[in-house]
Amino acid sequence: MTHRDAVVRRRRFSRKTREALLGYALVLPPLIIFGTFTFYPFVKNIWLGLYKTPLFPGTPRRWAGLTQYREVLTSDLFSNSFWVTIKFVLLTVPAGIVLGLLLAVLAHQRLRGIAIFRTIFSSTVITSVAVASLISLTLLNPQIGLLNYALGRTNALSPLDDPKWALISVAGVTIWQNLGLSFIVMSAGLQAVPDELLEAARVDGAGTWARFRSVTLPLLSPTIFFVVVIGSIHAFQSFGQIDLLTQGGPQDRTNVLVYAIYRTVFIENNDGRAAVLAMALFAITIVLTVFQLRILERRVSYER
Amino acid sequence: MGVMRRSIIVSALLALVVAACGGGSSDKSQPADGGSNSELPTCPLDALATAAKPVQITYWHAMTRVNEEQLKKLTDKFNASQSDVHVTISGVPSYTDNLTRFRAGLGTGNLPDLMQSEETSLQTMLDSRAILPAQSCLTADHATTDDFVKRIAAYYTVKGALWAMPFNDSNPILYYDKALFQRAGLDPDKPPATLDEVKAAAQQIVQKRIADSGIALKTDTVAFEHWLAKSGHTIVDNDNGRTARATKVTFDDATGEQLFAWIKDMTTSKLALSTAAGGVDHFLAVANGRAAMTIDSSAALGTIDSVLGSGQFKAVKLGVGPMPGPDSPDGGVLVGGAANFIVNKSSPAEQAAAYEFAKYLAEPQVQADWAAATGYVPVRRSSTKLAPLTTVWAQKPGYKVAYDQLLEGPENPATAGPVIGPYGAKGQGVRGAIVDALTRMLTENLAPADAIKDAATKANAAIADYNSRVG
Amino acid sequence: MSADIVATLTPGFAQFLVAIGLLVVGSSVLTVAASFGGGVLARRARMINRYVLLVVLAGIVLFPIYITVVNSFLSPDRIAARPPTLVPPSLDFGVYGKAWNQGHISSYLFNSFVVTFIIVAGQLLTSICAGYAFAYLAFPLKRTIFVVFLATMMVPFEVVFFTNLQTVVSLGKLPAVGQFVGLDTYGALAIPFLAAGFGAFLVRQAFLSLPRDLKDAAELDGYGHWRFMWRVAVPLARPTVAALALFSFFGAWNQYLWPLVASDHYRTVQVGLRQLSRGSLDEINVTFAGTVLAALPLVVLLLVFQKQLVRGLTAGAVKG
Repeated sequence: MTHRDAVVRRRRFSRKTREALLGYALVLPPLIIFGTFTFYPFVKNIWLGLYKTPLFPGTPRRWAGLTQYREVLTSDLFSNSFWVTIKFVLLTVPAGIVLGLLLAVLAHQRLRGIAIFRTIFSSTVITSVAVASLISLTLLNPQIGLLNYALGRTNALSPLDDPKWALISVAGVTIWQNLGLSFIVMSAGLQAVPDELLEAARVDGAGTWARFRSVTLPLLSPTIFFVVVIGSIHAFQSFGQIDLLTQGGPQDRTNVLVYAIYRTVFIENNDGRAAVLAMALFAITIVLTVFQLRILERRVSYER
Repeated sequence: MGVMRRSIIVSALLALVVAACGGGSSDKSQPADGGSNSELPTCPLDALATAAKPVQITYWHAMTRVNEEQLKKLTDKFNASQSDVHVTISGVPSYTDNLTRFRAGLGTGNLPDLMQSEETSLQTMLDSRAILPAQSCLTADHATTDDFVKRIAAYYTVKGALWAMPFNDSNPILYYDKALFQRAGLDPDKPPATLDEVKAAAQQIVQKRIADSGIALKTDTVAFEHWLAKSGHTIVDNDNGRTARATKVTFDDATGEQLFAWIKDMTTSKLALSTAAGGVDHFLAVANGRAAMTIDSSAALGTIDSVLGSGQFKAVKLGVGPMPGPDSPDGGVLVGGAANFIVNKSSPAEQAAAYEFAKYLAEPQVQADWAAATGYVPVRRSSTKLAPLTTVWAQKPGYKVAYDQLLEGPENPATAGPVIGPYGAKGQGVRGAIVDALTRMLTENLAPADAIKDAATKANAAIADYNSRVG
Repeated sequence: MSADIVATLTPGFAQFLVAIGLLVVGSSVLTVAASFGGGVLARRARMINRYVLLVVLAGIVLFPIYITVVNSFLSPDRIAARPPTLVPPSLDFGVYGKAWNQGHISSYLFNSFVVTFIIVAGQLLTSICAGYAFAYLAFPLKRTIFVVFLATMMVPFEVVFFTNLQTVVSLGKLPAVGQFVGLDTYGALAIPFLAAGFGAFLVRQAFLSLPRDLKDAAELDGYGHWRFMWRVAVPLARPTVAALALFSFFGAWNQYLWPLVASDHYRTVQVGLRQLSRGSLDEINVTFAGTVLAALPLVVLLLVFQKQLVRGLTAGAVKG
């Protein structure tokens, strides 16, 4: 081995090492954040669920083992929140997609001034959960709101305080708030549908509905699939509108899982119980996502 | 483990022997149930004298709007009046939020030195073991509670010790529209005093089509609790939780059922309008002439007055009357509002400073100013003879109603009010259980007897769960 | 005051409802008529019909926002009065000043901007760096680390938020850095979101789609990794980076749960609105004004960056 060879090899080696070091340096900061705020609390939650949390911090916690998991997962609180959450997802996600698609299809035509309508239909993206909730708090208020007034229900509770209507109302607010986003995503999907295909179908004598069903919809299926998956994960994590509109009531009819977790932590001060609920939320999210990926993706056509 | 078992034994002893002398906890905090007077922790009043001045303390409150402005004024006045203590106040919009941050602070150490907390949180504050009983400081200060309104002092007294310095007190009163009363042919200066009279007045108003309903009733539990108290009826066992920790509710009997039945009857016959537990819908119903009466805390009187005074809702002529309800010689209205708790996690000098400020806020003159500006009930009897309160009361007799009804009736466990760990708010604890049952009764047509049973079952479960977690 | 609905429907509101009804009925009639006729008439009818439908739907979508703006200009008794006022008699902006100052909307918005800025900047930086490492650098365990990044997307923040609260509290007790990341600081509001698995993934994909020989060419020009990343790769992946920026802006701006629990002192505008929603009888209009003010920054964003916004919001939704 000549001296020259050795220099080259050393350089090459150190270059490789340097590259690796740079790689680690670049991924390390996010890893620290993830470790601290995602993986550590995740593991800690599992552990927290094994202990009974005392009423107040500072007093010793008591080992409960898996008993607490069993207690919580068989409790009325959990089963109620589980079903409320499922109902909420079913109320918001499909309706949101259908409405978003409807608006997108309507706005996807060559008309003068259509840009104005596109802006209006996407306008609710400016509303955060808090803004949308405050707006609807007023609309739904029986004394100053217009809903009960328009329905002639002068002698009635707000639908938000009515056990029969509370969840539906919160879902309605959520659909409205997400309508802009749903519209934007669906419009983008529609724009990707090639006009030639639609034209070809028209030449073949397909009507509006037939063209939509056999050309647009299949080509849109990846977008819809995406919105279903992301939308339901998002809906499973709803919190803000519950906190602002109903605080989980009336009679826990809107006490979705995340709100139940929040209440268990901040009102009951029961971190152990909340940790079990949180792990259940995690498990449900995973099952749901895998289920959707398996079942729905089969029906999605990615062909272009 | 040892400490816990010991406090269980202590609790058992306390339950059996009235003059309990269990104690013996190795830590410096009190036993969970509070102790008798003799074993109260000492209040480090002297620490203030030796500390570097001014001692900086933080006061966490939940006052908003007019009340917050007045509190700021009082605080500035206090800070300017002396140089030993400097108070910084920090507010949140509700008592619940205040308690939430306090609880969080127990874990993090981010705590105030003085804490305003509502009456319903008394047991929780006690159980937090983070409270220095006001009684300790009063004793050290050679002060007494003699001048305090008896029922207010009684409310914050558990097992002979005053736990918090009373500050802002209120209780529910009847708000009604005199104009509508007049048009319905009712005496506008004689508001209904009993539930039967409320019903009769409502009938007359609705029959003459003066308003949609007679009375707007919030779907919360405040009226129900006060009606129980006015019947001389406790809400929980063990003398409303005052001789020992409460273990179950006591309203699941004929009295509770009758009250539920009254609410149901009024609502189904459209004499009463159910409105949301939170918010101002019940006031809006009156303001808009949709209902002639409503019940709410006297604490709202100042705001209502200023709204009407600004020229809005011109048709309304506001009248104020005592809380209508069952009229029993054994009963009376309960104390509402909040009191100031001294936090024992602070340094001795800060604890002493916190007492100084709490004492100041309860001084007769301060209370007279405070009550005059906010509509709260003065917690001191001598305040009622001081200006500006005398002037305000002379001009606006409505402001005196809440005070007067607090003096009526005997002092007993029922009127002293319940001490409940999981008193709860919306959807939680005992109150949550009652509200849920009420809502079910009204929206699902549940029989009053079943609704009461439902409320009791859920409330008892909440109490059991809470008690099982008291360390 | 009367329970009679018909009586309470005064001209203003009744006309409003009737107008909508007429529009819908009219357009249906037109549709039917058009199906019988043909040619120009049919096309014209179809077109009017479409506009009618668009206008009605636009009205429904916009109505809640409209009525909020209207209510902000009314006095509380006017808001509560029946029949409702649908057009403000005058535009009194005093109430906006009240919401801005006494309602603390100014400081809420400021806090939101600060926190959002920290989060967006942090997320962009960490995502670009990590995305670059995954796309261009070779190092042991790269695949595993990449999977770890992706795995973070499986753990919703809602599952861990209360445990993170304790972590933030503990961080606050650290010397030196504690005062920046402890409870009740801007840092606490931002730190859990300074990195995002999704962002790194997105940037990696964008870098991978760049031509491979670009890197070799840059190397010949003497560009090191750092210079190549910032001078060549990032500018070329600008659409993705912009999309990511908007995506994280929206996420950060609209956060509710974490700001609610992690800081009492620095309330973001979303949490501030919660405060405002508890306003009392004589302040209802201030609540509305505050709501409008809170939404304004995004209105501006929507109007100025509509195109990029669409891209940002659809990041990952549409392939191609």
